[in-house]
Amino acid sequence: MISVENLCKEYADKTVLASANAAFPVGCITSLIGPNGAGKSTLLMMMAGLIKPVSGSVFFDGVPVGDIPVADYARKVATLRQSPGFNLRLKVHELVAFGRFPYSKGALSAHDRQVIDDSIAFLSLEHLRNAFIDELSGGQRQMAFLAMTIAQQTPVLLLDEPLNNLDMKHAVQIMQALRRLCDEQGRTVILVIHDINFAANYSDHIVALKSGAIHFNGPVYDAVTETLLSDLYELDFEIINSKRGRVCDYFTPVLENENEVDG
Amino acid sequence: MSLRVMSGVVVAVLVLAVIFVFMGSGLDFDYIIPKRLERLAGILIGGVCVALSSIVFQTLVNNRILTPAIMGYEAVYLMWQAMLLLILGTHGMAALGVGLNFLMSSFLILIYSWAMHRWLLSQGRRDVYQLLLVGLVLTMVLGTFTQFVQLRISPGEFSVFQNLSYTSFNRAQPETLLYAFLAVLAVCVVGYRYLSELDVLLLGREQAVSLGVNEPQRIRLYMALIAILVAVSTSLIGPTAFLGIFIANITYAITKSRLHRHTLPLGSVVAVIIFITAQLLVERLFNYKTTVSILVNLVCGAYFLMLMVRVRTTL
Repeated sequence: MISVENLCKEYADKTVLASANAAFPVGCITSLIGPNGAGKSTLLMMMAGLIKPVSGSVFFDGVPVGDIPVADYARKVATLRQSPGFNLRLKVHELVAFGRFPYSKGALSAHDRQVIDDSIAFLSLEHLRNAFIDELSGGQRQMAFLAMTIAQQTPVLLLDEPLNNLDMKHAVQIMQALRRLCDEQGRTVILVIHDINFAANYSDHIVALKSGAIHFNGPVYDAVTETLLSDLYELDFEIINSKRGRVCDYFTPVLENENEVDG
Repeated sequence: MSLRVMSGVVVAVLVLAVIFVFMGSGLDFDYIIPKRLERLAGILIGGVCVALSSIVFQTLVNNRILTPAIMGYEAVYLMWQAMLLLILGTHGMAALGVGLNFLMSSFLILIYSWAMHRWLLSQGRRDVYQLLLVGLVLTMVLGTFTQFVQLRISPGEFSVFQNLSYTSFNRAQPETLLYAFLAVLAVCVVGYRYLSELDVLLLGREQAVSLGVNEPQRIRLYMALIAILVAVSTSLIGPTAFLGIFIANITYAITKSRLHRHTLPLGSVVAVIIFITAQLLVERLFNYKTTVSILVNLVCGAYFLMLMVRVRTTL
């Protein structure tokens, strides 16, 4: 459905992304992982149409995204940027209503109102419906923005670090909601994520980037291995298979040449 | 915003307008009342221009403490007036006529804004903040140049210049009012089409694009419309500097909403109320010993501070 071909991006002389090729599986959660500065967010923002590539193209159903009018693209792909700075006095349901803008152009129909209510209910935010966004906690605010993105009813959702600055409970809630979006509604979710354990336990597909190039692109089972992750992050990884899933332990690296350091 | 608030402020405007036109006029329909109607029309058009341009500008730059004055439009106007005085003198200015001066100043402001937008907004990667920065620097450069010209003109010419640098509704004439009205009408018709997209732009550039707003195009369009409004109001009633900040923020406080279908009509009415009140006070209480700008800054500044202290929330 959405794919990139030979995508390149440079800022001044620095190449941020060099000739990226990838197709993203439909109805799956795909996590973009990799170290800081690997080009994950740049790739996502180019797919969202927020950054223009230097060369190469993003394709949606085989059509180059540059050829799709912005207003039409908003009905195909919804994007949520990381921790939107917000100084507006809006209620949660008013924010979610903005998700209907690509359809309603500001005049909400009965169907739009139904979708808004459904999106709020999908994330169990009914009790916050009339709360002001600027009075919510970071986690609740992120949920409200996610509800807006869900109300956009696009086949593809792009999320840039949706778990940024969230506590564990809200992070789990968001990831479970994304899982349900895929499983129940068949939507395609592509997200940039830093917590490798969330990526390992919730996604179907992994695209790993390192220094502006795609390092790995494949199912999550093949991605979460000690060799691949150690190589990607240049850290010592231990993968532990527990009853609930796989845990990547990288917190206390074992120094291989400890003796040499001492000497 | 409730219907009650809107009808309340509309009634207030009507009452103020009736007082303004008829109080102490002796029902003189030959001279006093037509003159007052001219000033009232100037207030109406000027108020609408200042309110619309300030509120939309604050949306585009995502900042509640700026007005289009920061772009240097008014600096262009003042420099042009100073140049005219230097070259033509007071007699030449009088010979030029208010109507021609209005057209020339509006035209110059539009040329200035067109050049700046073309230079800074045409390439996709440049953003609004760069436009603001350049506008601010140009404001200062033009201001300094104007000061330099001021040193070359006679004290008599200087007092004329000083009058032109204040907001005043006494300059309005039927001819200029007609041009101004047509321009504002055209701006409203064009601007109304994408009114709901302005609301989405409040969420920030990236969210707006993600929701299907062609952000670069809309920014260009509305910046151009703002330039027309500012050109009209500056040429009609003089520089308003930062009056728009008070008008916009008082409007947000009353509507408790930032949706433009609420703020734009109410903001226009608020601006007209403030201007009529200030003009009444200047004419009746202070007998032209003070100016509208000083009065509005004083009263609105105090009111705004009170709002900030009393309502400790983001609006």
